[in-house]
Amino acid sequence: MTTFADERERLLYQALRIRRVEEHIARIYPSDCIQSPVHLSLGQEAVAVGACAPLRAGDRVFGTYRSHAFYLACGGSLREMMAELFGKATGCAGGKAGSMHLTAPEVGFMGSSAVVASTIPNAVGAALAAQRLGTGAITLAVFGDGATEEGVYHESLNFAALHRLPVLFLCENNGLAVHSHRASRQSYDLMHHARGFGITAEHCASGFDPMAVRALVEMAAQALRAGAGPRFIECATYRYAEHVGIGDDHDVGYRSPADCAAWRAHDPLILEAARLERFEAAIAAEIADAVTFAAASPWPEPDALLRDVA
Amino acid sequence: MGLAYRIEESATLVTYRDALWRTMHDALARDPSVIVMGQGVDDHKGIFGSTTGLATTFGATRVFDVPLAEDGMTGVALGAALGGLYPIQTHIRCDFALLAVNQLVNMVAKYRYMFGGRFRVPMLVRTVIGRSWGQGAQHSQSPQALFAHVPGLVVVLPSAADSITATYDALIGEKQVPVISFEHRLLYDVAFRAPASAPEWPLAPLGSILRRRGRDVTVVATSILVLEALRAAEHLARTAGIEVEVIDLHCASHPDREMILGSVARTGRLIVADTSWCAYGVAAEICRLVCEHDPSALRAPVTTIGMAPAPCPTAKTLEDLFYPSLRRLSDEIAALARGTRQHGIELPAEASMADVYKKFKGPF
Ligand SMILES: Cc1ncc(C[n+]2csc(CCOP(=O)(O)OP(=O)(O)O)c2C)c(N)n1
Ligand SMILES: [Mg+2]
Repeated sequence: MTTFADERERLLYQALRIRRVEEHIARIYPSDCIQSPVHLSLGQEAVAVGACAPLRAGDRVFGTYRSHAFYLACGGSLREMMAELFGKATGCAGGKAGSMHLTAPEVGFMGSSAVVASTIPNAVGAALAAQRLGTGAITLAVFGDGATEEGVYHESLNFAALHRLPVLFLCENNGLAVHSHRASRQSYDLMHHARGFGITAEHCASGFDPMAVRALVEMAAQALRAGAGPRFIECATYRYAEHVGIGDDHDVGYRSPADCAAWRAHDPLILEAARLERFEAAIAAEIADAVTFAAASPWPEPDALLRDVA
Repeated sequence: MGLAYRIEESATLVTYRDALWRTMHDALARDPSVIVMGQGVDDHKGIFGSTTGLATTFGATRVFDVPLAEDGMTGVALGAALGGLYPIQTHIRCDFALLAVNQLVNMVAKYRYMFGGRFRVPMLVRTVIGRSWGQGAQHSQSPQALFAHVPGLVVVLPSAADSITATYDALIGEKQVPVISFEHRLLYDVAFRAPASAPEWPLAPLGSILRRRGRDVTVVATSILVLEALRAAEHLARTAGIEVEVIDLHCASHPDREMILGSVARTGRLIVADTSWCAYGVAAEICRLVCEHDPSALRAPVTTIGMAPAPCPTAKTLEDLFYPSLRRLSDEIAALARGTRQHGIELPAEASMADVYKKFKGPF
């Protein structure tokens, strides 16, 4: 059992674990054992672990195709995630999801969609159910900055605000949609926009700091549990890897290596590497175990093809 | 499935609308997880009378108006279903459900499968097919084939009060599947004879319904065309001794293959009459079933009847050409049964459908 000096160290450990998992995915990816597009969260891990820390049993999270971090931060099984990426029957979705549709309902990670913004209203609906059934649970809708351009995002904010639903809209703002910068896509300011619906909006400039994210989400979660209506949090963050795949694309011209360096200069997983060193061996062993499990697991049986259709 | 259903003689008449209202009411009364959400569900018109008063009876937390946001609200319904509710979502025209195609096709239809069976999506989307009184191009479409094309959705087209009751009562809260239903606006006012033993109507909730037995021609029909086919069948039996078998397709996504193939094997003659366009639609699909199974069962080419391959016009003169008519359906059946277009059989006066089509005075 890993023990931690404090909550901050616990969160840094979780973020480190996610980073090492994704780095390992990148390492083995060229062997084609993972035949699925991967959207890595490298650089964005702190948002996920900070946001999930205040959640309780029964709370729900809806994510995107870039959900390795949230899946793991929610407590999803690493073995089942790796097996899912390998397309194995023991995967979290039996080999029907791949990297883009991770799910772990047993820990509240409800699902993730590769159609941008499409889980946002689902999170609102789950919040509606929690409100109507009086469960006291809250729901997190996780999405990127690009997703806020989709009509359904606006529809979701409106309905959630109208019914004062216990849903937290959490935007991971990495400033990019694929290779396109926000300035070429958005006429609005995210915070002002959310406030236009009467939604309390907070900004976290230090999305590299899990404790900063945690503090804002904790406050929002309290308000949600008290029935104060939906909240919005924008977390500034930075994507180290290319949009999809394992490469680094700082040399192709759409973003500068200097921006990346600036972000890395704040990254506690880098700055505090020496202090976190004591966790490395256990994390490496856990990853090795997950990969062995995935590799040794069987492929789905042919009859799985037509199972669970309708 | 393959259940035969015969309309029993009974004095009680139930309109399609009453059946809808009753199923909505009973579902809300029976199951506290049921919610009814849609534009105007709580207003004085209540989705053409199918939800009137329910918000008062069951409260605004269970029966509520929604913003004009079809895709978002379908996503909300899906999330609510995942969260333990049974949402019934309404669209007063199926044309409006087209704004929700992302949620219906990419999310609702996939949620169970894509996540390896970890979720069920119990929900009902009620949509209404419009026709007549100038509904025009965007208030008259019948996109059942579009949705039935997608694995993961259950698509039904209730043609009568009994199929409303049987289907909705059996599905709501029970079957953990997403259902999209295409109700027909012009059926709302039609009164159907209620079978004597109402609680145990022998209808399968899904599959197809054998509405009439006959040896000469098989008509596979959807929605309001079932009513037309039955009237055509009665007319042709009376005037020419032609016996038409009428299969109410009912569940476009899960038709009763055995019933259809068995019928065609006996009659050797098939007409498909659908409320929508024939190309790539229900008509094409029924032909696929027959062709893949045993095309030699057909003793004559298949006839398909549906909307003309154009958007729907509003001028009455054009609209009359756009939709199939009782006259035309009867003519096609007679031609197929006799093997010639010069069959000499007297066709029914169009006025015989006037109780349904001419009564509708809009606006919607
Ligand atoms: C509806 C839809 N449009 C376009 C795409 C292609 N696409 C995939 S990810 C993406 C960018 C989304 O950006 P953002 O929401 O900021 O998330 P990020 O990838 O930065 O985490 C786009 C355009 C898609 N998957 N779905
Ligand atoms: Mg982005």
